[in-house]
Amino acid sequence: MIELQLLLGGLQNGALYALTAAGFALIFGATKVFHVAHGATFTLAGYVFIGAWNAGWHPALGVLAAMAAAVAFGIAMERLVYRPIGRHEGGFFTVFVAAFGVSIVVQNVIAMIAGRGFANVDSPLATATEVMPDLFLAPVFWISIVAAVAMFLALTIFLSRHPAGVALRALAQNADLLRAYGLSSGKLSVLAFALGSVLAAPAAILTAMTSGINEAIGNHVMLISMAATIVGGVGSLRGAALAGLLLGVAESVVLVFLDTQWAEGASFMVLFAFILFRPSGMFGAAVAR
Amino acid sequence: MSIALTCQGLARSFGGVQAVKGVSLSLPAGQVTALVGPNGAGKTTVFNLITGNLRADAGQASLHGKPIMGLKPWQVARAGVARSFQDLRLFQHMTVRDNVLAATEPSGWFWQPGGAASRAARLARAEAAMEAAGIAGVADARAVDLAYAERKFLSMARILAAEANVWLLDEPASGLDLSSRTRFQDLLKAARAQGVAICLIEHNLDVVMALADRIAFLDRGEVLAEGEPQAIMRDPKLAAIYFGDRK
Amino acid sequence: MIAYLSNIATLAAIFGLLAATLNFMVGQAGIFSVAHAVFMGLGAYSGAQVALLLVPDPFLACLAAAVVAGGLSLCLALPALRVRGEYFVAASLGLQMMAVTLFTEAKGLTGGMGGLVGIPQPRIFGVVVPVLPLALVALVVFLLLMAAMQRGSFGRTLGAIRDAESAAEALGKNVAVAKALAVAFSAAGAGVAGALFALHLSFVNVESFTLEQSVLIMAMLIVGGTGTLLGPILGAVLLLSLPAALSFITFIPPTDIGSVQQIIYGGAMALLMIFRPAGLLGDQKRGRSEA
Repeated sequence: MIELQLLLGGLQNGALYALTAAGFALIFGATKVFHVAHGATFTLAGYVFIGAWNAGWHPALGVLAAMAAAVAFGIAMERLVYRPIGRHEGGFFTVFVAAFGVSIVVQNVIAMIAGRGFANVDSPLATATEVMPDLFLAPVFWISIVAAVAMFLALTIFLSRHPAGVALRALAQNADLLRAYGLSSGKLSVLAFALGSVLAAPAAILTAMTSGINEAIGNHVMLISMAATIVGGVGSLRGAALAGLLLGVAESVVLVFLDTQWAEGASFMVLFAFILFRPSGMFGAAVAR
Repeated sequence: MSIALTCQGLARSFGGVQAVKGVSLSLPAGQVTALVGPNGAGKTTVFNLITGNLRADAGQASLHGKPIMGLKPWQVARAGVARSFQDLRLFQHMTVRDNVLAATEPSGWFWQPGGAASRAARLARAEAAMEAAGIAGVADARAVDLAYAERKFLSMARILAAEANVWLLDEPASGLDLSSRTRFQDLLKAARAQGVAICLIEHNLDVVMALADRIAFLDRGEVLAEGEPQAIMRDPKLAAIYFGDRK
Repeated sequence: MIAYLSNIATLAAIFGLLAATLNFMVGQAGIFSVAHAVFMGLGAYSGAQVALLLVPDPFLACLAAAVVAGGLSLCLALPALRVRGEYFVAASLGLQMMAVTLFTEAKGLTGGMGGLVGIPQPRIFGVVVPVLPLALVALVVFLLLMAAMQRGSFGRTLGAIRDAESAAEALGKNVAVAKALAVAFSAAGAGVAGALFALHLSFVNVESFTLEQSVLIMAMLIVGGTGTLLGPILGAVLLLSLPAALSFITFIPPTDIGSVQQIIYGGAMALLMIFRPAGLLGDQKRGRSEA
């Protein structure tokens, strides 16, 4: 039964990874920015929620605050870091180092304010009950699955129905085309960052409720997001979400054989296997160079 | 007249769109073949399929009778196919001389084979190529600091120095003024006289008519016509496609 | 005081070597890695084991370190370099995070969290030598090697790949081989630095080879400037003197010193990239590479 328990735990984690990774993939697809500070968005949202909780705010208010913080940080990164670098034609490395630097700053500022080590909120939602013999599930499990499915559906509908969503997809396909039609790619980038960042907030909140988060969790989130984007196939939202789910399950199922410290190794192995055998990812077009 | 490079039935689609459908071409040694056609006809894709930058869905290509399909770009290059890119892809932060020298040094290992004698020979080749392309005067400038025409000629100098016998040139003369264009045409004529098989993607019909021995007209991934320049250009149907009066 | 200065100088030489070899990978070849501390660690453990189990001969230790670090780097490089540049960064980040677990768990080889203690002082023909001259020699040797390569055809090959990979391929260059060689050389240099680090401290554990260490090395490179020979050395000296400088600022609580340092590294990286992308010594035009 431990296997089923781990599988379900993996699904819960995977649903949250899927959301985070879809946010990363959305930003990368639409703006071609490898937003490695996405992990910092996650950390920030999680700590804002914990702070609101500890201050005695209503949880719904805490959720809103976390989402607002995520969006604000995403937009700030776009306006203050990526856009200026883009203006002087900075390459991939320039963007990467700058975003990585900001992530380090966020991680350590949080460490100074909130202290190092794990922090979480004690919610009754995270209390597991025995639903079947030897199988424990907390309400958070269902919340995670429902939140992931709902947000992903909402995103899909937005991208296929709303004019701005359609424009975002067009931006992902061909930025020049969009400019030719007089759409502002600047505004759309901001939208992409806002949407992509807000997807990280629920994942951060639910993680804070269950396993807890620490100031360095952003590195792990960064790795998962990049790995899921690559495994899913660069440019595919669906692929990134599915790959996020896969990585969550892999990290959990590996515990059947190994201790917890190897969970991260499982993600790395999945990533490496894909780089070796299927570099275009699950849904990616062949990498044209 | 020997055929340097041929390809048959090259095909490639991108996400359901047939960009190239069954293109066959022969490039005879010592001749200039112009590849013309409207934008999006699949001209550059054909180059990419030949050089291995893109994998073909179907088709064959051979160089002097040896199949080259499935080889990696660097292997095709070593077999004797040199190409230029529409966006040039110069080594921006290297000097002009280093750009051209790099074309004479195929090995990716720590050193080149052949020792000092070979090194001197390579340097001489590079100097000759720069001289021929008319950029010897800016040999120590960095590629990024060059003027537009000089960049174009640097791209040509790299190809000259590579000493290949098949050249695939992607819009090498676009944006050149008249005197530069004449210089460029002389460069190509000299190479043709030495037996190089040249394939040229070009939109400027003056350049095409001045240089081409043959024309292949490409539209929507297919070769619509192939033959003498005069005959192709007189065909009203092709002219309609080319000048955008397609019904 | 002399001991203090010689300690700083030794560390500056070791980290200068780390930053300079990372620069070879990043600035010359355009390959981005955040796992340099992993290769440093591989070298440190190999060098330490040679000194502990065989002989405390520094040359043997450095040789073993270079072979192990360089060789294992190929296992990462060969597959990861076949694909886009972003993949290598992602793979190196994954490697960095997993390697810390590996170093902690492989207790037989690394001593786990407790690390390897009592590494004997290096001896040449039975005479104890301090690490400072060894580190300086290693630094100079690697700088000379890199300068030679930079001027020769290999440097041109790497520069061509960095500036326009597809054009380099179209000139017949086997890009995969050249990149793998650059990575292996760079990792071997990091390995040598790691071995000297182990011999210098006579103790190593996994704490020295974490993501923070990789970040520090990268920050040294960024501050000094990529693509220059001496920039990384300047960056190493500057960032190594930072803790000493911070200790003069009394209002920072000692528990936060580590965080403040990291904030300065991170902030410097971000601000330099936005306002001065080629670093302090770098040629500013070069920062605007489209690589």
